[in-house]
Amino acid sequence: MALEQHLAIKTSALGMIYYPGIFSARKIGLHALDMEVPQGSVFGYLGQNGSGKTTTIKILVGLQFSTSGQAWIMGGNVRDSETRRQLGFMPENPYFYEYLTAIETLDFFGRLSGMPRAARRARADELLGEFGLSAARNVRLRDFSKGMRQRLGLAQAIMHKPAIVILDEPMSGLDPLGRRDVRNVILKLRDAGQTVFFSTHILSDVEEICDRVCVLDKGRKVAEGPLSSLLTGKVLEVMLSASGLPAEGVPEVQKLAVRAWHDGILYHVIVDSEEHAQAAKAALERAGGTLRAMTPHKESMEDYFVRVTETPDKGKGSGNGSDGKVLVDSHTHSDPRSLNAVPLK
Amino acid sequence: MIFAVIALNTFREAIRDKILYVLLVFGILMIFVSRAIGWVSFGGESKIMTDIGLTAIWMFSGMISIFIGTGLIYKEIDKRTIYTILAKPTRRWQFLLGKYLGLLLTTLVNMLALSVTFIVYLWVCGTPITLALGQALALTFVEMMVVTAVAIFFSSVSTPILSSIFTTIIFFSGQLTKWVVDLGAPLKSVAPWVEKVLYFIYLFLPNLHNFNIRKEAVMAAQENVNLAISTGEFYSCIVYGLSYTVAVLLCAHLAFSRRNF
Repeated sequence: MALEQHLAIKTSALGMIYYPGIFSARKIGLHALDMEVPQGSVFGYLGQNGSGKTTTIKILVGLQFSTSGQAWIMGGNVRDSETRRQLGFMPENPYFYEYLTAIETLDFFGRLSGMPRAARRARADELLGEFGLSAARNVRLRDFSKGMRQRLGLAQAIMHKPAIVILDEPMSGLDPLGRRDVRNVILKLRDAGQTVFFSTHILSDVEEICDRVCVLDKGRKVAEGPLSSLLTGKVLEVMLSASGLPAEGVPEVQKLAVRAWHDGILYHVIVDSEEHAQAAKAALERAGGTLRAMTPHKESMEDYFVRVTETPDKGKGSGNGSDGKVLVDSHTHSDPRSLNAVPLK
Repeated sequence: MIFAVIALNTFREAIRDKILYVLLVFGILMIFVSRAIGWVSFGGESKIMTDIGLTAIWMFSGMISIFIGTGLIYKEIDKRTIYTILAKPTRRWQFLLGKYLGLLLTTLVNMLALSVTFIVYLWVCGTPITLALGQALALTFVEMMVVTAVAIFFSSVSTPILSSIFTTIIFFSGQLTKWVVDLGAPLKSVAPWVEKVLYFIYLFLPNLHNFNIRKEAVMAAQENVNLAISTGEFYSCIVYGLSYTVAVLLCAHLAFSRRNF
């Protein structure tokens, strides 16, 4: 089957069933996945732990063999090793030979990709400089920090300038500066016309850099498309913040509120629609309060993710990633409801 | 030649591993100590020196093949270094063959170092040196080709500890394969199935005794004869070793090629 010209990756009914043991029940890792990744896009692959993200990636890069369906990269079947010539891959928490130095590592991967010696040397120097590893070029990897390994992992993935770069949890375990660096690399690759496919738990990163996303839940695709078409833009809640609200004005405002509290300086009120927001604003002003801020809360990637993946018995909330929940970046998603709520008196 | 890239990298890994030097130093010490053992032994001093020297080279080369080889593939999987390698345009057989050749190169270099030390030491001590010693050393290397292939096979399907145990068992039991059939002969009339089982074991296990011409080499050197065994026998041993190695590597490839990581 020929791959459409504009597609970098295509999967058709891709499935994976694991057989843990003779007496254990089979486990579906991936269920009939149809997915299309356009060339030149940054594609976010989302899902909770165990949802099938890494399984898909391992099939795409040739580490696992699907039990059904097919997958193509730049028109070539993923089972053909030559297809991987157009591919760069960084696994989650990348591990390399600790006895090699940074320059030896890049040279080794360049050789595996079939690069000639002069090109390898020039490219390795360029990448070490770009990733801030020039000073560590002759340092053995056993002395590298996690952040340095991650940067080297990215460098080896793009050493041979592949058309597609697949990254499994590239921001995992990095500090904010490290994550920013990875984001910048991804955007730079997109600007150079390369396709970036990456899995992540960190939804703020997805909103910032992805053109398209695919969401998996328990091995099944639950959504795929451009971010703009998935996020409705609908206002879910509005937060009003006011000062100088006298106690007698509180009950009228409170009637409209989903939640209200006083943080010692301002009164905050959350209402569930724009109509209620207007009514609450009028009530605040009638009672003599001064409106300081009115913040609409539109559907975010996090809201969307929870909407499409959460089952009724799970309850709400996000976790730390290790329990199968998604991580929310506290820097860009500071939810006012996470403040210590003080009921209005 | 992706397998050559992997082989050279495996060689680099091995020569940066301290265990190689520990084994090498012990091997060289054993060669040097052989003269002292010759002084306190019955029989000719030069004969004991040659015998112990050849045995030291065999034993320490075997230890390198077993101790480094049995962890080679497993470590790649366990530490996940294999992920980035197989994601390149690397075929699985290239990876396996590269690992095998890398370890074989390590064993060869180690054997060369021990053999040069051994020959120079014999020469310094005035012990007779003939081509027969070269024959014995060459067949020891062929034996290491088989043992390394067995180590790689077990490493691709099992843990390092189990692989070490299995490979060591084969390394030593392979020396006795020749007698397995003889053991079954008296049981032919009493328990014919035992004889069949023993015959199957004989066919299945590598006959490493074929490569052990150390005794013949020592005798040939003492008598100043150039060859320990005839050229025909020598080449047939090499062909047997190569055939067994290819068969074991094919089995390793079968186990490795469909494996999910």
